[in-house]
Amino acid sequence: MYEEYKKKLVAFYETHRRMPGYKEIMALTGFRSKNAVFKFIGKLIEDGVVRKDERGRLSPASLGAGIRLLGLVEAGFPSAAEEELLDVIDFDEYLTPNKESSYILKVKGDSMIDAGIQPGDMVIVERKSSYKLGQIVIANVDSEFTMKYLRKSGDKYYLEPANKKYKPIYPKESFSIEAVVTAVVRKY
Amino acid sequence: MAWGAQQSFPRAILHTDGDSFFASCEVAKNPSLRGKPVITGKERGIVSSMTYEARALGVRRAMPLHEIKKKFPEVIILPSDYETYSIFSNRMYEIVRRYTPAVEEYSIDECFADLTGLRRLHHMPYPKIAASIKRDLERELGMTFSMGLSCTKVLAKIGSKWNKPSGLTIIPLRDAGAFLKQTPIGKIWGIGPNTAAYLNKFGIQTAYDFAKKDEAWIRATTSKPYVELWKELNGTVMSELDSAGRKSYQSIQKTKTFTPSRDMRVVFSQLSKNVENACIKARRWNLATKDISFFLKTQDFRYHGYEIKLSSATCVPQDILKVVSEYFPDVFKKGTEYRATGITLMSLGDAGSAQLDIFGSVLKSEGLKKVFESVDAISLRYGKHAVFLGSSFEAMKSGAHLGERGEKPARTRELFKGETARRRLGIPSLGEV
Repeated sequence: MYEEYKKKLVAFYETHRRMPGYKEIMALTGFRSKNAVFKFIGKLIEDGVVRKDERGRLSPASLGAGIRLLGLVEAGFPSAAEEELLDVIDFDEYLTPNKESSYILKVKGDSMIDAGIQPGDMVIVERKSSYKLGQIVIANVDSEFTMKYLRKSGDKYYLEPANKKYKPIYPKESFSIEAVVTAVVRKY
Repeated sequence: MAWGAQQSFPRAILHTDGDSFFASCEVAKNPSLRGKPVITGKERGIVSSMTYEARALGVRRAMPLHEIKKKFPEVIILPSDYETYSIFSNRMYEIVRRYTPAVEEYSIDECFADLTGLRRLHHMPYPKIAASIKRDLERELGMTFSMGLSCTKVLAKIGSKWNKPSGLTIIPLRDAGAFLKQTPIGKIWGIGPNTAAYLNKFGIQTAYDFAKKDEAWIRATTSKPYVELWKELNGTVMSELDSAGRKSYQSIQKTKTFTPSRDMRVVFSQLSKNVENACIKARRWNLATKDISFFLKTQDFRYHGYEIKLSSATCVPQDILKVVSEYFPDVFKKGTEYRATGITLMSLGDAGSAQLDIFGSVLKSEGLKKVFESVDAISLRYGKHAVFLGSSFEAMKSGAHLGERGEKPARTRELFKGETARRRLGIPSLGEV
């Protein structure tokens, strides 16, 4: 039953993005008393599934949402590191550490192929207050988004593709940099 | 009178309002829409939100789209993409929460924030904090926000309306009088046209006239909400921020327009889908009800319906549909064209406290409840309506609308590998590049 209850707790957390309160745990598990909940929580803390702060509030420690790092395996000697609770982050946090300013785009062309970005890939981008030379950026040129390296020659900025088939873009009028590419995701 | 000599910010309340929010989300996603007249609401047949460019042409909210097409052919009409709007909305709350934990999520495009006491933490005076929040919002979300900073919610809201779009209006308590003098009484949050007309009879034209009355007069002439409003206008916080978010519902209503139909099966199916949706929401909040009402809306906008009392409280669609189907034939008139159906679950209570009834129907529905626990678990994994009732089939097999009103937002049409039509990544897409 413990595993069942734990699953419900994890499901609650995934839905509400917070830990349930005592009453809510009673509703989830069907426990009739707060004492039962207290014991259940005690077990969860012992197992390192949740943490309790100084005010008694619960926070998730390892709900099994993240992928566990197994540590280094030394040649020939299997390590017992699986049991070690390392601090883990999930892919959400890894790929979009600044969630509020992150966006995705689908790659359609092959102009960045030499940078390893292929048609069909997903790129994750972030809106920033400033951008640096050499970054792969999303620029707004003539009301269209384009993805290129940001370069500068003299005091003129220009956009350089990573494919010999295409020429650099020297925007005639003004153009704006909208975001910087922070990751490429490709699923097979 | 509290204005004048006192400190500028006995409290610091910030109101944030997304400028033409839905339309702005669309423009933020698609650079080719910038500077153009854009409206959303294609699936509703009326204007739901419009950019300032569209407003400048003369487009107004709730205008029918056929009129728009005739009068303003250059306007770009888009279907609503509520998923994206909700993501932008959550981001708005989160960005404001970087500065203060006390944020009230007032509506999809508005929030209040209490900044009181945070000057030292941020090493900035209140107006600077507000400006910094605005900068973050606009940079990260790619759209503009109008903001008002003052010492109560009502005053903050006057500030955010003051200078739209993209304004930041600071109303320190000592200057509030000057702002109120220029604000007609009907423009105050919470005062409708009737109250405004009533107050006009006493010579009250502006918010200033109202705020200047003494408390005894206000108490004698108006009711409690207006006394509170009066206090807020004078700089006393009467309505604290509700940062806990919604805890429960009194009632849940689900209604949806569809391509008009005379087919009884289609109309019932639409109603069935609404019942399912209402029950999903009730179960999510662990609520149940005995009191329900349903209606059918005809093509000439007449409503026909019934209010029904069930023998026991429920949050299972079969229980409700069973009763509804008994009354449905009384309401449905052959040959009449219907455009919408709706269901309301009223006087909702805790689903856990449902009592057993003498005929044992509760026990039967307990079994169904177990089934729906599984249904909800399946939906969590595979998306809403992954499984649904047979009676909702007609409504589920196609969207609510046929033809061009049925156009789906790009988000649900262009999927990445691993996304499904029902479940998608919680990050806005900026399209192709």
